Amino acid sequence: MTYLVLFLGVCFVLGGLAVASNPSPYYGVVGLVLASVMGCGWLLSLGVSFVSLVLFMVYLGGMLVVFVYSVALAADPFPEGWGEWPVVVYGVGLVLVLGVGLGVGEFGGWKFGLGTVDSEGVMSVRLDFSGVALFYSCGVGMFLVAGWGLLLTLFVVLELVRGLSRGAIRAV
Amino acid sequence: MSPTHLSFYSAFALSSLGLAFHRTHLISALLCLESMMLSMYIALSIWPVENQAASFTLMPVLMLTFSACEAGVGLAMLVASTRTHGSDHLHNLNLLQC
Repeated sequence: MTYLVLFLGVCFVLGGLAVASNPSPYYGVVGLVLASVMGCGWLLSLGVSFVSLVLFMVYLGGMLVVFVYSVALAADPFPEGWGEWPVVVYGVGLVLVLGVGLGVGEFGGWKFGLGTVDSEGVMSVRLDFSGVALFYSCGVGMFLVAGWGLLLTLFVVLELVRGLSRGAIRAV
Repeated sequence: MSPTHLSFYSAFALSSLGLAFHRTHLISALLCLESMMLSMYIALSIWPVENQAASFTLMPVLMLTFSACEAGVGLAMLVASTRTHGSDHLHNLNLLQC
């Protein structure tokens, strides 16, 4: 149990490596799901459960579902696997570049330890709940800008996929 | 460097290298972009926990909003390129080739 957070961090990096060196977009999506599940578990073990669940719902449940069916649209019918030589060379090369970068840069030793998320005092509120709730009070400008940006993105996407004929539903 | 910082820093570096060296599909590059956004989200979430500053927990949620916008637009461009060129292979996008 001592090394659980370290294990989650290592699996997060392995998921990122799987996305970067993917033989086919199917495996890239698997790596992204692995990385986001590990990242959510990591945030949960730190105590910030709200941002972890936001990541699960918005990222995994919303964005990755859309990515999965776009991959089904765009990827090869007969993909390469993990055991092919170019993919292995690619993965090892990426890890080597990362290792060289860490070795050349300054690595001043390991530092351990993190703070906690419960505030003490009369009102016990969690750090992330009280922070994100500021969206509705002080940060209402950011909230409105984000909402406006999302609405604008909807129209941008509809305009990009309009094509020559009218109508939104079309076979590719 | 603490192991947590090393984790999301390496994941970000690996995904940006994967974006730079994308090979056949446009959607592999979009997936690497998503992985970069994920590691940035984790980094922005861990920072207020370490510094005990509650109001900075707004930032990962705001970043996720704009990253969702960006993912949607990227996928719309993928669909547009599949409609025009028949596939999303990157060697089809050769307008600037001499």
